[in-house]
Amino acid sequence: MSNLEQTVSPAEFDGVEPKDGASAPVRKPFELGRRGLQLLSWLAPVALLIVWEVLAQAGWLSPQVLPAPSKVVRTAFKLATSGSLLNDLGISLLRAAAGFTIGGAVGFALGTLVGFSRIAEAAIDRSVQMIRAIPFLAALPLVIVWLGVGEAEKIFLVALGVTFPIYINTTLGIRQVDPKLVELGRIQGLGTLELIRRIILPGALPSILTGVRYALATAWLALVVAETIGAQSGIGFLAMDAREFLRTDVIVLTIVIYALIGVAADGIARFLERRLLAWHPNYGGAR
Amino acid sequence: MTLHVVPSSTVAPAVVVTNLRRAYGNRVVIENLNLRIERGEFVALLGESGCGKTTLLRALAGLDSIDGGRIVAPRRPAVVFQEHRLLPWDNLWRNVSLGLQVNDPRERAAAALAEVGLGDRLDDWPRNLSGGQAQRVALARALVQQPELLLLDEPFAALDALTRIRMHDLVRELVASHRPGVLLVTHDVDEAIALADRILVMREGRIAFEHRTKGHGASRIARAELLTELGVVASHHTA
Repeated sequence: MSNLEQTVSPAEFDGVEPKDGASAPVRKPFELGRRGLQLLSWLAPVALLIVWEVLAQAGWLSPQVLPAPSKVVRTAFKLATSGSLLNDLGISLLRAAAGFTIGGAVGFALGTLVGFSRIAEAAIDRSVQMIRAIPFLAALPLVIVWLGVGEAEKIFLVALGVTFPIYINTTLGIRQVDPKLVELGRIQGLGTLELIRRIILPGALPSILTGVRYALATAWLALVVAETIGAQSGIGFLAMDAREFLRTDVIVLTIVIYALIGVAADGIARFLERRLLAWHPNYGGAR
Repeated sequence: MTLHVVPSSTVAPAVVVTNLRRAYGNRVVIENLNLRIERGEFVALLGESGCGKTTLLRALAGLDSIDGGRIVAPRRPAVVFQEHRLLPWDNLWRNVSLGLQVNDPRERAAAALAEVGLGDRLDDWPRNLSGGQAQRVALARALVQQPELLLLDEPFAALDALTRIRMHDLVRELVASHRPGVLLVTHDVDEAIALADRILVMREGRIAFEHRTKGHGASRIARAELLTELGVVASHHTA
């Protein structure tokens, strides 16, 4: 409380007008405070990086335990220019995309079926929920027995992780569509397909996109695990290969790349929500 | 348990209901109900909650099956509900043209929206509308189908008094120019008197009372009479 300029009288806090000069311009302590907090929230991690850098440069941190951030950046440049980094990154992204597409399609198809049909729900839902109870990473040894440690195993694991969040949120979304709007669709003379296209899918979309966001996170997790177990290429392979040679700079780099791609995936999901749900009061930016 | 909606020939009445019966289990909601609405005729249906008037409207709309009797309607009627039921993910012209089988849906929707005074809001979203505006869009959506029968299920009940009066004027104009047969289900005696050519009071599943309002002036007497029929002592219920 040393900063006197920022102190505010209790009356102002309670939203009560100051009793005397009402015309005097009132300062806005919250605006200032928020910007300050914003700055602080960025300052802290930057400071942490600087401390890390200093400790590494001073030799207090062994480069084999944790290399300096600057060293990681240099390694990134070196690997990127030699082409191997981009190649491995591309392979990882391809695996994630393939697994996501397959898992997403299966989850969406099953979810749609169960969302529309009580019979399908009775037939399918309990089994799916049981399989879902398994942490999907626990299935990895079995998957390796089935498929070996090749591309198929990695894509399968990603697909497995993606299927359930998409399935659950698709079913939920379809169930939550306002029956009054469905009734209206019938009154306006929509056929079944038109009803699905114009009313049920748009109504279920917010929930489906929530599923997509979850699925992106699990897809990424599945990929990290699958690539760490046994891979001849990809970001995970890069990390395991570097471990053999105690190249902690490369390992740290791969961890950072995984993080960045995770953030990017979330960004894509948010972008989709903003675009596709522009009409929705909880998301839309449009008007 | 079949739905007895039979297509009739071109002109003639908007709907004819003969000996309609509807029951939920043992509870009979509509019994032996007969009703005929001509094209261009505005009929209001009054009645206490639970008297079967909404059930009748839903049967006419083809939303519920019926247990006996016949409903003869030219084709599927248009309905406006108490809630606007606009699709929040579609802009106004796409809402209005929902289900419209034409080559120029946008133009048709534009014309219909212009009729309800919202011709400049084609690309706007439902969430930017007031309650009255949303209900006007719902009216446009009903009328763009050029219905021969228009069913109104308490469409003004959720609106404030001033907006309701404006909506009454608008509906009167629209019905006069499109000339569908109209069945308005309402709780509001004054609304019925203001809009309808003919007022029906429904009680225990049948039409218990009928009043023609053609040639105004008698509305005061009509009001008292209608309130009595609805089981309200008229002198305690001045507007």
